[in-house]
Amino acid sequence: MTPGPVDWPGGRAALRRRRRPWRNDQTTRRPGDGRGRGTHELDELLQFLIAGLKNGSIYALVALGFTIVFAATGAINFAQGEFFMLGGMLGVFFTELGLPLAVAALAAIAATAAIGAVFELLAVRPIADGDPLRIIMVTIGGAVVLRQLALHLFGPDERALAAFTQGSSLKLLGAAIERQTVWIWALTALAVVALALLYRRTTFGRAMRATSIRRDAARLVGVNASAMVTASFALAAALGAVGGLVVAPLTQTAFGVGAGMGVKGFAAAILGGLGNPVAAVGGGLILGLLESLTAGYVNPSYKDGVAVVVMLVVLFVRPQGLFGGSGRVKV
Amino acid sequence: MNARTLRALAPLVIVAVVALLPLFVTDRFLLKVFTFAGINALVVIGLALLFGHAGQVSLGHAAFVGIGAYTCAVCTVTFEWPWLLGFAAAGALAALGGLVLALPSLRLKGHYLAMATLGFGELMTLAFREAEPVTGGVDGFGGIPFPALGPFEVDTAASLYWLVWAVAGLSLLALFNVTSLRPGRAMRALHGSEPGAQACGVDIVGVKVRTFVVSALLAGLAGALYASVVGFVSPSVFTLAASVTFLAMAVLGGTRSLAGPIAAAVLLTLLQYLDALIPGIPRETAQTIQTYQEDIYGITIVLVVIFAPSGLAGLWRRRKGGEAA
Repeated sequence: MTPGPVDWPGGRAALRRRRRPWRNDQTTRRPGDGRGRGTHELDELLQFLIAGLKNGSIYALVALGFTIVFAATGAINFAQGEFFMLGGMLGVFFTELGLPLAVAALAAIAATAAIGAVFELLAVRPIADGDPLRIIMVTIGGAVVLRQLALHLFGPDERALAAFTQGSSLKLLGAAIERQTVWIWALTALAVVALALLYRRTTFGRAMRATSIRRDAARLVGVNASAMVTASFALAAALGAVGGLVVAPLTQTAFGVGAGMGVKGFAAAILGGLGNPVAAVGGGLILGLLESLTAGYVNPSYKDGVAVVVMLVVLFVRPQGLFGGSGRVKV
Repeated sequence: MNARTLRALAPLVIVAVVALLPLFVTDRFLLKVFTFAGINALVVIGLALLFGHAGQVSLGHAAFVGIGAYTCAVCTVTFEWPWLLGFAAAGALAALGGLVLALPSLRLKGHYLAMATLGFGELMTLAFREAEPVTGGVDGFGGIPFPALGPFEVDTAASLYWLVWAVAGLSLLALFNVTSLRPGRAMRALHGSEPGAQACGVDIVGVKVRTFVVSALLAGLAGALYASVVGFVSPSVFTLAASVTFLAMAVLGGTRSLAGPIAAAVLLTLLQYLDALIPGIPRETAQTIQTYQEDIYGITIVLVVIFAPSGLAGLWRRRKGGEAA
C-alpha cells in the first residue's frame, strides 16, 4: 500500500475519534464554528496535561513518603499506600462527625501521622536493626492489618468527600480545570515547600538528614536516630494522608485503594530515583503525564498498567532513576 | 522404637496418611477442602523456595496462579487441547511471566521484586477482567473440563484429591532435591549474604531468577489444577488478597524448610472450615474466622516476622536443638 496523500490532521483525528467514541461530546465540534482543528487538538492535549499533572501531584506525595522512609530505614514501606487510604477515609469520617472540612482535614492528617508513628513503634522498631527483608515483611503484614481495620471501622462502601470549594470549573485557554484540581496543586506545592523548609532550615530536619546519610555518625553527634525513624514514618504517613484527602472529592475513596496507589507512588519514586525528594516529585509528575497521555491517545484501559510498565523499564534500563546521577547501583 | 527409627518412619507415615485419606473421609465437601489444601500447598512450596531459601518476597503469586488457571481454561476449552497439554502450557506460561518480571527486578540489590510483583498482580487482575474475549471478563470462564490423563478422566472427588496431592508430592520431592543439593546451598548462601555468596562463586542473579521462575511455574500448575477441579475461574479469585494468603502461609511455615510451609498451608486452609472438620465447633465460629480471614493473615505475618522470623520450621528446629543440648 502506498502512503498516498497525507490527510494530516483530519485523517488521524478522525481515526482517533472512531477509536474513542466515549469522548464524542468533545470531538463532535461542527466545522466552521470559528475554531480550527489545530486549536481543538491543542485544547485536548492541554486537558490531558492538566489531568496528568493532577494525578501526578498525588503520586508525588505518595512517592515522597516512600523516599523519606527509604532514606531512614533502607527498606520499602508497603504500608505507604494505606496511609493514602487512611487520609481519605478519616477525612470522610471526621466530616461525618460534623466537623468543618478544614478541621476534619487537619484532624485526618494528624491522625494518620499518629498511626504512622504507632505503626513504626509497634511493628518496625522491634526489628529495626535486622534484615531489611524483615522490615518489608512487617510493612506488608501491617498494610493488610490497616486495610482490614479500615474495612471493619468504615465499611466496604466507596465514600466521597465534599469538594473543598464549590463552583464551576475554571477555564484556561480551551481547557477546563476543576476547582479541586487547583486545591490539589496548591496543597501539594505547600506540602513540598514545607518539607523542603523542614529538611533544610530546622534542626529537626538536619537531624533527619544526618540519620539518613549515616546512622552511626548521626548518633555520635547526639541525634536520637531511632526517634528520627519514627518521625520519618509519621511524616510519610502525613504526606500520604494529604494526597488521600485532596483527591477524595474527585475520585471517591474506599478501604481497598491503598495497594494500587502504593504501586503508583513507588513507580514514581523509582522513576525519579529512590531516596531523593526532588526526584520523587519529578517522577510523580512525569508518571501522571505518561498515564494521562496513554489513556487519552492510546487506550484508557491501559492507564493502570502504565505505572507497572514504567517501574519494570526503569528497573531494567536505569535503576538509579531519571534524576539519579550516573552512579550505578552496585552490590 | 527409638527416636531415630521414628524420625525415619515419620515421612512414610505422613505420605501414607495423605494418600489413604480419601478411603476414610467419605464426605465430599471435606474431601474438596483437602483438595484445595493441596493446591495451596503446591503454590506455597514454590513461594517457600523463594522466600525461605532465597530471601525474596513475591506479592503476586495469585497472578501466576491466575495465568495458569486461564491458560488451562483457554487451552482445554477454546483450543480443545488434551488436558495434559493445557496443564503443561499453564506451567510454561506462568514461568515465562515469572522470567519477564524477575529479570529486571532481581538484577538489583534490595527488594524491588516485591513491589514489581505487587504491581504485576494488580496488572494481571486488570487483564483478567478486561481481556473479555479471551478470559470472559468479570463473568468468568466456565465449562472447564475435568483433568484427563490420556484416556483416564479424573472426575471423582477422591481421584481429584489424589491427582492434586500427587502433583504436590512430586513437586515437593523435586524441590527437596533442589534444596538439599548445590542450588539449595547457593540460595541459602544468598539469603545469608549476597556479597559473601558472590565471593564464593555463586551466580547470584542467575540463582534468584531461576528460583523465581520455578516458583512461578509451580503456581501456574496449581492454577491449572484449580481451574480443572472447580471448572470455573473468575478474576475475583486471583487478587492481592490471595497473594497475601499464600505469603502468610509461607511465612508461618518458616524459612529453610519445605515441610513447614506445607503444614502451614494445610493448617491455614483448614482453619476456615473448622466446623466441618471438628464436630464440636459451631458454624458461627467458622464464619467469624472467615470474616476476619485477612486480618488473621496480616497479623500472622507481622507476629511471625517480629517474634519467630524462621516460622514453624524454626521453632521445630529450636525445639530439637534444645533437646540435643
